Amino acid sequence: MNIRASLSRKKLIGLTAVLIAGSMTLAEIPANAADPGVSATEIVLGMQLPETGAASPGYNKVDDAMRAYFDYVNSKGGIGGKKIRLEVKDDTYKAGLTISTASSLINKEKVFAFIGSIGTQTHISVIKDINRRKIPDVFVNSGFSDFYNPATYPTTFAALGTYVTEAKILGKYLKEKYPDKKIGVLYQSDDFGRNSLEGFAKAGLTFEAKKTSADFIAGTQGSVGLASQLTQLKANGVEIVIIAAVSSATAVALLTASALGYKPDKWAVISVGADATTFQTIAGSKGVPASMSAAMLTGLISASHAPAPGDSSDEYVTAFKKINDDFNKGADKRWDNNVLQGMNIGYMATGALMGTLNAKSTFSAKNNKTCQANAKKAVLTRVCFIDYLNTNGSKVESAAFTPLQYSPTTHEAFSGFWIGAYDAATVLQPVSGTRVVYSTDSGNGPVTVSNYKRPAIAADALPKN
Amino acid sequence: MKTISMRKLIAAIGAAALLSTAAVAIAPSAYAAAPTCTKASDGVETCTGTLSNGAGYLIKVPARYNGTFFYWNHGIRFTYPLPGVITVPKGVEELTPSNVPEAAMLRAGYGLATYDGVSTGGLRGWNTADRVEMLKELIDTVKAKYTVRKGVAYGSSQAGSILTPFIEKYPTYADSVGIMAGVTPSIGQEVQSLCDAFYILSVFADPTIKGCAAMGVKGLAGHYAAAAEFGKVVALLTAWGGNLGAPGLEYPAALKGSGIPQRSALLLTGLLIGLPTKSAHMDGITTSPVIAEQSINATVAILENFGEAIATGTFGGQAISEITGPGFYDNTKTNWFSLLDPADSGRFNLGLSGDGAINGMLGVLSMAPRVTGDPAAVAKLKALDKSKFDTTKPVVLLSNEADRLVFPGNGALYVDKARAIYDAKLAKYETARDAATTSAERAAAAKLKPFWNVASLYAMTPETYTKYTAAGLPDLAGAPSPSGVGHQNFTLKQMMAWVKILAHAADTGKVGSPGYLQQYIKKAPYLNSDLDYRPSDLKYIW
Repeated sequence: MNIRASLSRKKLIGLTAVLIAGSMTLAEIPANAADPGVSATEIVLGMQLPETGAASPGYNKVDDAMRAYFDYVNSKGGIGGKKIRLEVKDDTYKAGLTISTASSLINKEKVFAFIGSIGTQTHISVIKDINRRKIPDVFVNSGFSDFYNPATYPTTFAALGTYVTEAKILGKYLKEKYPDKKIGVLYQSDDFGRNSLEGFAKAGLTFEAKKTSADFIAGTQGSVGLASQLTQLKANGVEIVIIAAVSSATAVALLTASALGYKPDKWAVISVGADATTFQTIAGSKGVPASMSAAMLTGLISASHAPAPGDSSDEYVTAFKKINDDFNKGADKRWDNNVLQGMNIGYMATGALMGTLNAKSTFSAKNNKTCQANAKKAVLTRVCFIDYLNTNGSKVESAAFTPLQYSPTTHEAFSGFWIGAYDAATVLQPVSGTRVVYSTDSGNGPVTVSNYKRPAIAADALPKN
Repeated sequence: MKTISMRKLIAAIGAAALLSTAAVAIAPSAYAAAPTCTKASDGVETCTGTLSNGAGYLIKVPARYNGTFFYWNHGIRFTYPLPGVITVPKGVEELTPSNVPEAAMLRAGYGLATYDGVSTGGLRGWNTADRVEMLKELIDTVKAKYTVRKGVAYGSSQAGSILTPFIEKYPTYADSVGIMAGVTPSIGQEVQSLCDAFYILSVFADPTIKGCAAMGVKGLAGHYAAAAEFGKVVALLTAWGGNLGAPGLEYPAALKGSGIPQRSALLLTGLLIGLPTKSAHMDGITTSPVIAEQSINATVAILENFGEAIATGTFGGQAISEITGPGFYDNTKTNWFSLLDPADSGRFNLGLSGDGAINGMLGVLSMAPRVTGDPAAVAKLKALDKSKFDTTKPVVLLSNEADRLVFPGNGALYVDKARAIYDAKLAKYETARDAATTSAERAAAAKLKPFWNVASLYAMTPETYTKYTAAGLPDLAGAPSPSGVGHQNFTLKQMMAWVKILAHAADTGKVGSPGYLQQYIKKAPYLNSDLDYRPSDLKYIW
């Protein structure tokens, strides 16, 4: 998916009183204690993303799509009688604002959980504090693998496969498909880029610094441009250029290469930087007509863990698209990958909340009795929500072609990707005509073909957890 | 560090003659002098006298004295002068925190007392052990003359290292403790970071800098040697103030010509020592045509903060070295890579010039010759101001979000240490409670139940406040942030909220419920209502 890593109150007072006055630490909160953001009628969730600013195009549609799915759920009675309310804060992709808006979501909006945060470089500034406070931090839109080690961040769960996983799968494909071609990489020198290079290396795809490997400082692509990097790759005869960078960098790279007369045989882009709508929006802002930007995208290789938004045969796409049509009140509700991702997060979150409030769910041995009792009373707690994800992650339904991997030892999301190339209508189509989903891990495990059969979506488009 | 403005100090040191033979001495008294008291027309009685070591004290009691006394402890003062720059105090300088008018506290009915923090022989500096005893003597003196119903021991900065051991040694001498912008428990941890700053700058900017390795000579000579090191840093900061660190690194040789701008090394230095990335004028967020990105804003914040921080390292370090002897700084085991928080390397990646530059700078830093200290001096540094953090008296901390002299992580460290003691007591109580089978055993267990009695308040900055000139340059001469920056720099409403909370805590024996605390917080703009707020940790924890 293309938004990954993207850029890169009386009970409450009572609880706070206990915490601060000090007869109890956060770690000692029992699983049946009342938590902020939950009432008899409502669950409040918080999200941070760049709604405005240079990094916002495309990504600023994800929250509207999530809210549309939650509004749909609310129209069906909510979860356990509780309606979901999504509070959104615009951090403009500036970490200083990510810190202050996180504080606002915690202390003013009193959110039950953070959900769907977008931006590796921004989320890394608040992830430690969110985890210290034991607030669920779920379905984070980043593929940065370091976020998803429960030993470090026990409350944080991914919404995407990791960059390492994707790069391993994409790297293996390219290496085998183009054994005689000179493959190079253009990457942003940060966590996103580092993670991607790690994955390529695990696939046996290595690069030579300053020759087949060119890097840039994330954030400079717009002001400085990428001419020197692309000139370097061209001069070194790179025939296939992999881009491990955000969408705005992909746009700059393709436009600059065109201006330089550099026409590599293939472009291959880590999915974060390859959303067609985002690419075309950015290109359009630079005066490039849609037909021309579509032509630039044609043949570009990328990967996805979920169906392409243009895949009208996919039942999840069909169901989500209708909900988007009926419930999305966003300024730009055009169906695309960002909207699909937002819908899917709404769907997964709904399933996880339903499962937590389902008295038939099984939790960890430590919390099972309490969480089941809570579920019977429709009491939602942070401890039980996290426990549910740890214990039942693979049962949380989604549109992805591999299941969530959540367990007490990993909070990575999807292990599988399929490889596609954009057609002239900017729809990602399977490179071999038929979609083949490959699966691996962020470690040294092999890349294999996945045999997972995704559960069908229910007629009412609601998860059945 | 309030004897002079640090800004003036930094400005003056660059030009001051650093050599002087001016002698400093305060004649110690052989015994404490009895207080001499006068009463003004407004009914306020003022008493002065000297403690047994000759240090002066000052007491004021209003006509409508309510029975609660506030005992003020100021921060570190200079023992030695720098002509034209530093003047050594000649007695009691302040009776209350600097921006809390005496009149406001007297009107509230509080008795006020303080003492000049000078040890026998005229020594000031890091004389915390002496000051614990001086504070006790002050309180004894007050109690000998007045009926004290409740007492509040409070202070700022260095006083954190006095008040914590004081209340543990003399638990009946105060009913609540207030630590403002305090080093808690010791300045040692932060000085280690500030010595790192000298060292890092010696690698990246000026190889002649010896920093803390030059400290340890006692007396005036040592003071001047430290000041000379400070002067070298001031010279660097002055240059960077002119060019915003745009030129490429000249040092070390391995990075010369690398294209890494000096500002990236400055920013890295600030991040490695935990210097706040917000300053009086820079919010770390807003941009302009010249300050085009948030991490560049933060770089200017580091530049604006650096001088006063390094002044703490210089004069605090030198004062400590008179106790430890030379060689208290050792970085042979320092892992420079681990000192850079992953969140910082991400958030400030552009200002640091990207991963390649970060790895390059940390790589050469790791390979540079290290400073080997004297194990005995290093051990003394770590043993400074040892406290147990087991007081049951209410303790209320007040800190600025972006204090550049005493980093806010000091407050978090105090809370962590006190929490560890609390948790151990809680576990002991729970074990006894669970094992109890008789009413007598249950009653005995109940007596073991601890009570968390620490509140940590933070003054915050507004979300954004940087102003720019028409040319896009940061306006460093304009009005600073109204809150959250500087050292011992709080609004009157913030300070009075702290004072009122301390008085209530002294009355009740408890810091107060969150609801109670919030009443005062709401009346003091920019005081953080998030009582679970935690600033960045200090880089060294021991």
